[in-house]
Amino acid sequence: MNIQKLRDEAKRAISRKEVKYLLGYQKGSYGFRVSPAFIESKEEVDRLIFSPLCALSLVNYLMLEEELPQPKEEKKVKASKVALFVRGCDSRALNQIIAEKGITRDELYIIGIPCKGVIDLKKIEARFPGVVDSAEVVEENGNYIVTIKEQILKVPKEELLADTCKVCQYPNPLTYDKLLGEKVEAHSANYQEIRSLEEKTLEEKWDFWQKEFERCIRCYACKNSCPLCYCEGCILDKLTPQWVRRSVDSSENLLFHITRAFHLAGRCISCGECERVCPMDIPLMKLNRKMEKDVKELFNYEAGKDPALKTLLTTFNLEDPEDFIL
Amino acid sequence: MSEFEPNIVAFLCNWCSYAGADLTGTTRIHYPPHVKVIRVMCTGRVNPLFVVQALRQGADGVLISGCHPGECHYLKGNYLARRRFLLMRNLLEFIGVNPLRLRMSWVSASEGKKFAEVITEVTEEIKKLGPLKSFKREIL
Repeated sequence: MNIQKLRDEAKRAISRKEVKYLLGYQKGSYGFRVSPAFIESKEEVDRLIFSPLCALSLVNYLMLEEELPQPKEEKKVKASKVALFVRGCDSRALNQIIAEKGITRDELYIIGIPCKGVIDLKKIEARFPGVVDSAEVVEENGNYIVTIKEQILKVPKEELLADTCKVCQYPNPLTYDKLLGEKVEAHSANYQEIRSLEEKTLEEKWDFWQKEFERCIRCYACKNSCPLCYCEGCILDKLTPQWVRRSVDSSENLLFHITRAFHLAGRCISCGECERVCPMDIPLMKLNRKMEKDVKELFNYEAGKDPALKTLLTTFNLEDPEDFIL
Repeated sequence: MSEFEPNIVAFLCNWCSYAGADLTGTTRIHYPPHVKVIRVMCTGRVNPLFVVQALRQGADGVLISGCHPGECHYLKGNYLARRRFLLMRNLLEFIGVNPLRLRMSWVSASEGKKFAEVITEVTEEIKKLGPLKSFKREIL
């Protein structure tokens, strides 16, 4: 990805009258960290970067914006857009949110970037521990060129690539106003890992998940980093009735994870951010991918493919399977 | 030791299954007394979390029963519920809970006999499975 091309495009986007600000990536405070950039004028675009380290989803920041109550007439006049960079998974998240009427397409100016996969921050920080100075990573012919303090190192891509990107089916943005760069080849669906876990006995599965959920410290990082977890009144925060207690024990943790996984059924777009941010390394994507696989096989539905499509659980098909019903 | 007496929570839809259960009573058909009935207006009203919560708070099995497809009082509530609970069942099975603990059935208001049969079948199955211990909330 040519960084100059990206900055030029950003400059063009921010110069448009209807665009109020642009969401992009900038260098983080230290090491391999990347933080979101809110660009409001042409002069600021030089801050923007784009590298395999940019794993976080900008869609999150879009949904965090507080909507101030405005009179109806005024709203019409002030029709303004937010420009943002999206990769394949982000564009699916946007499609899904548009389908759920969380946001409208008119509010967005989407610059699509075909994505070759992102680096798992945990993996790179384990490989290069204690890096404080800001480092850079560039992808080149199946290798990552890591630059730390004028030191240049070459690492094979497979070692640092995030697990979800290895099976990514949609690396190219599906919805965009402008596409930067050339389209990337997609992987085919691969649920081998899920199938092998499914085939285990109930006791084995129970023990496996119990061991994983036991470690959960309920920091809610998975929930907060998820581009689709944007409900204002989240059931997990509710006090009357209190569905999930604050206490961290195996039974509350179990309910929390069931709730989280079920609320993402037919909505998860497999960006894998929940698993990457989890401080306890719980394989959350296994739950999400299980739901994704079932939804695909049972209802022939995939989240975020088309913004005009209705959401999975608000629609039905007369021929839905019902062999489990007495 | 006495036989295991299961706790079964049944969510019955107001228009079909609840009336069906009523018919079972008025026609004096016997069925196992382990079911605790909760009347809801429609199976579409049943949040999948109700099921998990019931299992956590002492139920050994949950039954959701409503109108036959195409006969929903609200036209599509049971279709929506069908999708939801199929997914919930699969998720519970993936986590290691026997999917037989979450059952669904279609019982119309005229099927008093079927209601008794469904309850008998579900109760027998759950009796075979035994109590659900591991899923319970530690402090109620």
